[in-house]
Amino acid sequence: MNTSGLVRHGLLQAVALVLGVTFLGFLLMVYFAPDLSYQLAGKNPTAEQIQQIRQQLGYDQPLPVRYLQYLQELATFDFGYSDSSGERVTALLARTLPVSAALLLPGFILGHILAMGLGAVAAYGRGRWTDRLIAVVSGTGMSISFIVVMIAFQLVFASSYGLNWFPARGWQWATPAQYLSHVAVPTLTILFVSSGYNTRFYRAVFVEQIGQDYVKAARAFGYSRTRTFFRVILPNSLLPVLTRVLYSVPAILVGGSLLLESYFGIPGVGKSTFDAITSGDQPVLKAVIALSSLALAVVMLSVDRLYRVVDPRLRG
Amino acid sequence: MMWQRWWERVRQDPVTLAALVLIMLFFGVACGSWLGLIGGGWSDTSSLLRGGFSAEHWFGTNAIGQDIFQRAVFGTGVAFQVGVSVALGATLLGAVFGSLAGYFHQRAGDGLIGWLMGVIESIPFYLLVAALAFAMQGHNLAMYLAMTLAFWTTTARLVRAETIRLRQMPFVEAARTLGVGQSAILSRHILPNTSHLLLIQFTITFVGAVKAEVVLSFLGLGIQDGVSWGLMIAESTSDLLAGHFSNFLVASISLFLLVMALNLLADAMQDALDPRFSHPADPGPAEPSPAEPSHGT
Repeated sequence: MNTSGLVRHGLLQAVALVLGVTFLGFLLMVYFAPDLSYQLAGKNPTAEQIQQIRQQLGYDQPLPVRYLQYLQELATFDFGYSDSSGERVTALLARTLPVSAALLLPGFILGHILAMGLGAVAAYGRGRWTDRLIAVVSGTGMSISFIVVMIAFQLVFASSYGLNWFPARGWQWATPAQYLSHVAVPTLTILFVSSGYNTRFYRAVFVEQIGQDYVKAARAFGYSRTRTFFRVILPNSLLPVLTRVLYSVPAILVGGSLLLESYFGIPGVGKSTFDAITSGDQPVLKAVIALSSLALAVVMLSVDRLYRVVDPRLRG
Repeated sequence: MMWQRWWERVRQDPVTLAALVLIMLFFGVACGSWLGLIGGGWSDTSSLLRGGFSAEHWFGTNAIGQDIFQRAVFGTGVAFQVGVSVALGATLLGAVFGSLAGYFHQRAGDGLIGWLMGVIESIPFYLLVAALAFAMQGHNLAMYLAMTLAFWTTTARLVRAETIRLRQMPFVEAARTLGVGQSAILSRHILPNTSHLLLIQFTITFVGAVKAEVVLSFLGLGIQDGVSWGLMIAESTSDLLAGHFSNFLVASISLFLLVMALNLLADAMQDALDPRFSHPADPGPAEPSPAEPSHGT
């Protein structure tokens, strides 16, 4: 297949995926969602009033019509107003998405750097005590529940039973000091849990690299260990690393931070999505499903491009 | 032969042996709970609120005077019930769809199943469960169904890859030449040869389900009647504010020990049974397993 064929194939796949995700999401979260008309109608509504509200919310239309309307909203990225707060959905996303990003990014970035370091140390010390120690640490990180870490860290770092360094919950980010103190405990939680999985991943990637002939050749030419790592091993590991990092972006963006946000009382997108599900707020749900599928499609398409930038062999 | 090799390894590895013993212990407790021998008094209240360790209440009591030990025992039963049923369902689905996709590689069926897996994996796990729970109006089985639906794809991808490999092996070609039908080739020649993958995936899915139950119960989407480790952790947050830690510690340590032991067992199986992973990397997709909210879900 030539390059334009590949691009077309990728585009086709992305469109199929967006259609699938939006349809399944629509079916589950919107079509089968609890019927809000009785709640919105107030006390002792007449049959007419209920009919009117059902019409307003679009409940009276058949499924294909409602889904097509949804696709139209998706194309214009205009999902109207939230059923529960009356806020414009795009404004709600613009308000909550940056909060989630600010909450998760430090832990995500530091987690990958830490895991890369630990993975490299473990890979170089294969079978020795450093490797075993790191395996124990990452195995522990993988076995403790995210919730347990979150609660324990709050207790240790942000309560009077522990160090009491940071505020126990809430979210303020007007000044850097406020931001740092509120993001500290969530970041430590993400670091602890994600480095368990990521360390294993990086170790496996690096172990495979260390065995390659070109790495041995670089060492034989007198490259130091550090230089080999940064100049040879790291660039050659970029493909799996990029894949892992990029494919976790949509999940962060949307499902993101439900637990952290609801436990620490942070007004991010995970919390508002969860609230939308429990209250049947269809416009918000439609927007979130659309956003996550579009993000995934963008990642799928850009991964192919990036592969070709990173790996000259794929340029052809 | 494969299993003998595995047992030889386990016997010489004290860590895996200890993990196996721990799992059997937990399983024994779970059986005791199912048979009503222990943990039957998990919902009885007493006048002792937030009591400490004593001969009568081994691990103390919670905010309304319920015995924490009995609740943890009952929770063990629930954990196994969730783990085994979700792991069975997801492994079965993964085996069927994975082998079909692999057998019809590069044909329409493969593409369709691949598309379906991509779609399911693209929906954030907790949104899927929450949506299903509300669509089923808080039905008890919503959690089981949602987890099975979300967890089968990893197994299916692995089985698919293995089937593509096996399909070209001489013994399958021979069977085909002899006129063995397609379904017989799949069920008698290909699937049995993926049994090691299925067993490893069963264990990994078991772990995922136990951990996800805790998160979902914490969010109010999981266990509806009865008590589980997740519900204990959820109710313990108010105990923690009062400086009473035993509810939280007992539930989270039980959870940690069972998950750790199962993880160690899965690693040992992977080492012994799956020669390609002499040291296991995540076999799944680029994301961490859906069971683990590692990026802050």
